[in-house]
Amino acid sequence: MNATIARLTWRSLLGRRRAILLMVLPAILLVLAVVFRLAQGSDAEPAAFLLSSFGVAFLVPLLGLIAGTGSIGPEIDDGSIVYVLAKPLSRYSIVLTKLVVAAIVLAGFSALPILIAGFIMAGGDSNVAVGFAAGSLVAGFAYSALFLLLAVITRNAVVVGLLYALVWESAVGSFVPGAQSLSIQKWGMAITEKIIGTRAEDLQATSPVALTTAVILLVVVTVGATAYAGYRLRSIRLTSDE
Amino acid sequence: MTADSPATIRLDGVSRWYGNVVAVNDVTMEIKAGVTGLLGPNGAGKSTLIHLMSGFLSPSSGTVTLGGEPTWHNEQIYRQIGLVPEREAMYDGVTGWDFVLYNAQLQRLKDPKEAAKTAIATVEMGDAAGREISTYSKGMKQRIKMATALVHNPGVLLLDEPFNGMDPRQRMQLMDLLHELGRQGRVVLFSSHILEEVEQIAGSIEVMVAGRHAASGDFREIRRLMTERPHQYTIRSSDDRALAAALIADGSTSGVELLSDMLNVQATDYARFAHQLPAFAKAHGVRLFEVAPADESLEKVFSYLVAR
Amino acid sequence: MSQPAEHGVIHDIGFRHYTGPRLGRGYLLRSLYAESLRGAYGLGRSGKSKVMPFLLLTTITFPALIIAVVAIVTKADELPVAYTSYPMFAGLAISIFVAAQAPALVSRDLRFKVMPLYLSRPLTRNDYVLAKVGALISALFILIAVPQTVLYVGALLAKLPFWAQTRGYLSSLVTAALLAAVLGGIGLLIASITPKRGFGVAAVITVLLLLSAIAGALQAITLDKGKPELAGYLGGIDPGNLVDGVQVWLFNAEPASQIGPPGTLGGVVFLVLTFVVIFGCYGLLLLRYRKVSAS
Repeated sequence: MNATIARLTWRSLLGRRRAILLMVLPAILLVLAVVFRLAQGSDAEPAAFLLSSFGVAFLVPLLGLIAGTGSIGPEIDDGSIVYVLAKPLSRYSIVLTKLVVAAIVLAGFSALPILIAGFIMAGGDSNVAVGFAAGSLVAGFAYSALFLLLAVITRNAVVVGLLYALVWESAVGSFVPGAQSLSIQKWGMAITEKIIGTRAEDLQATSPVALTTAVILLVVVTVGATAYAGYRLRSIRLTSDE
Repeated sequence: MTADSPATIRLDGVSRWYGNVVAVNDVTMEIKAGVTGLLGPNGAGKSTLIHLMSGFLSPSSGTVTLGGEPTWHNEQIYRQIGLVPEREAMYDGVTGWDFVLYNAQLQRLKDPKEAAKTAIATVEMGDAAGREISTYSKGMKQRIKMATALVHNPGVLLLDEPFNGMDPRQRMQLMDLLHELGRQGRVVLFSSHILEEVEQIAGSIEVMVAGRHAASGDFREIRRLMTERPHQYTIRSSDDRALAAALIADGSTSGVELLSDMLNVQATDYARFAHQLPAFAKAHGVRLFEVAPADESLEKVFSYLVAR
Repeated sequence: MSQPAEHGVIHDIGFRHYTGPRLGRGYLLRSLYAESLRGAYGLGRSGKSKVMPFLLLTTITFPALIIAVVAIVTKADELPVAYTSYPMFAGLAISIFVAAQAPALVSRDLRFKVMPLYLSRPLTRNDYVLAKVGALISALFILIAVPQTVLYVGALLAKLPFWAQTRGYLSSLVTAALLAAVLGGIGLLIASITPKRGFGVAAVITVLLLLSAIAGALQAITLDKGKPELAGYLGGIDPGNLVDGVQVWLFNAEPASQIGPPGTLGGVVFLVLTFVVIFGCYGLLLLRYRKVSAS
């Protein structure tokens, strides 16, 4: 962990334009939550529906993409990463620092608003708010690590990440049952399911992945992606533009 | 402050290829203390060499070492190396001072603020350090880059095309700085294809042509070694005509051109010519006012090397 | 050895000024358009840049091919998917294409500050915008029309009634054109904000998906509250639905969202809105590029 790198990554992630983009989705979520609440009153069902469809399936992966790739992508793209790399710092610690910053930013813009939205819509009913917030938090870690790795490996990280998050996890996942076990969203949902407890089934907050499996997979992906990213960062090429 | 006996950079049989394209072909060289100019046309492999030396590229074959330690996958060498990269991008929205400070902090220096102050003073950016880098001119950006490379007082400085886009005054300032750093005993290597600068400050040069190491050493020495090219001299004397006749009769020249106020001579046998010229002058009672080598500029050496 | 010069002399080494005909602004515009269109599919650029567009083109055409083959083989009476519904069905692929390629068209020029080079020629800023917008819209039109054409050819080969199929196909081409114009305008407008390509991709897809999600959510709420007309209008927030609404009205197509625009008034409103969006985005792009420095 390196304080200077953390500071630089923080500033870059929360630069004006990126911050606005990061704020838009949770803002919409909160507005929808308020609208739902005013229209329907406090009810766990629409809360679970909104939080799983808009929150977990959409907001978390998309913001994870923006935060994960944004924590290292622009520096690699314009070559300013050389100033960080030409220093006696372990590549693993560089990656870890950036991951932590990305995960914190992501938590602030996804897990926190989801928690708030959940409370707005359902109060403490069935632990919906806490359940979804926890699931998003953990899924967020995995997404940040995965997308940071993508940004180290390829200059087209955002598009590739999009294809994964949208096409693989959502579309393919709905058609091919096996694919669902390989979806970070579903792993997060397993934790949500556990926290919500008995009402999970009729709130449709279930996951086809068992809790233990989900936790193991989340840890493996997060740690594995971070380690591999550090490994690849050691050999990254300082190319000229494009 | 001088660095004490910095390590030497050694390349041993180094080649680097990308698929079918060979960027660097079997290069062996040693970069020691002082200012070395890495010279070559575009695409000759200069940047590749600098990336190899600075640990950002691994050799496809051969070894690249700094003080005996390989440069690849070795983060600790950055304590000793200061790199001034070619690309312009730096962190946005940061002042010059902040940027140098961050670099000092990333170098894990004990007193980063002092180091940053010293480095900024060395590159004479003290007044502008408070402004954002995005407002800097190109020369100022180069100087801030230099400051980041100097902040940890490295024994080795690698500069990739540092004079690109500089105006003459900035060039002079940078040349003075490099000269001073070399004089302090550091290993300073810079790449360029602007021959005037290299000529003025490089103690020795390494010439790269099409990925191959074409020549190294002092450029005048290199010139002397190039025996297949005739040496060209201009001579001013009290009787050019007589001298010309004598030189033509002797076999050491391949061409003598008599102009209105001087003689242009192409000497094929340099040693014989150098020996015979004063003898002829004395024999014919000719006074020699000026004998000047016409092609011992780095430019001529370079163009000969490149044209081979 | 050179002669000592008396005064400054410029030597004639054979350089000649070009004195032939110069093609005008129209040619410039067409060239930029053609080059941008090719660039949207990665033609004329590196191999890597071809992967995404062709991958998406294949992905979007493949199901159409399957449907066509199935229709021929099973001698079906009609296509299981209407021509007009196909683009809505393939909306995600189209959105990804816009997100991936709109920045590819404009980010490079902004990032490397090439605009002064373009603008120092007889090309005006408006020409530049027109060429880029035209190129992206054309690229999108190709993306949407190819699978529709595959369906049409399949239908003809399956000996389905000619005029019905042709009518359906032609109306779907109109939809394709409108959809391409709407999405192209929005995508290019967002992408032109930033010189960073990765950020542009993220911004475009976020906005497109967001509009879709909001429209869906609002429709769900209003339908639940028993207000189908309002739900119909709110669906127009999603640009895909907006164009879908137009074709629901014009061609009596099946609505792709939960409910289409109500009646004739709804249809007209959607049509007007479609053109407002198209020309609005274009106008905003002109404004945006007015701010780009030319030196």
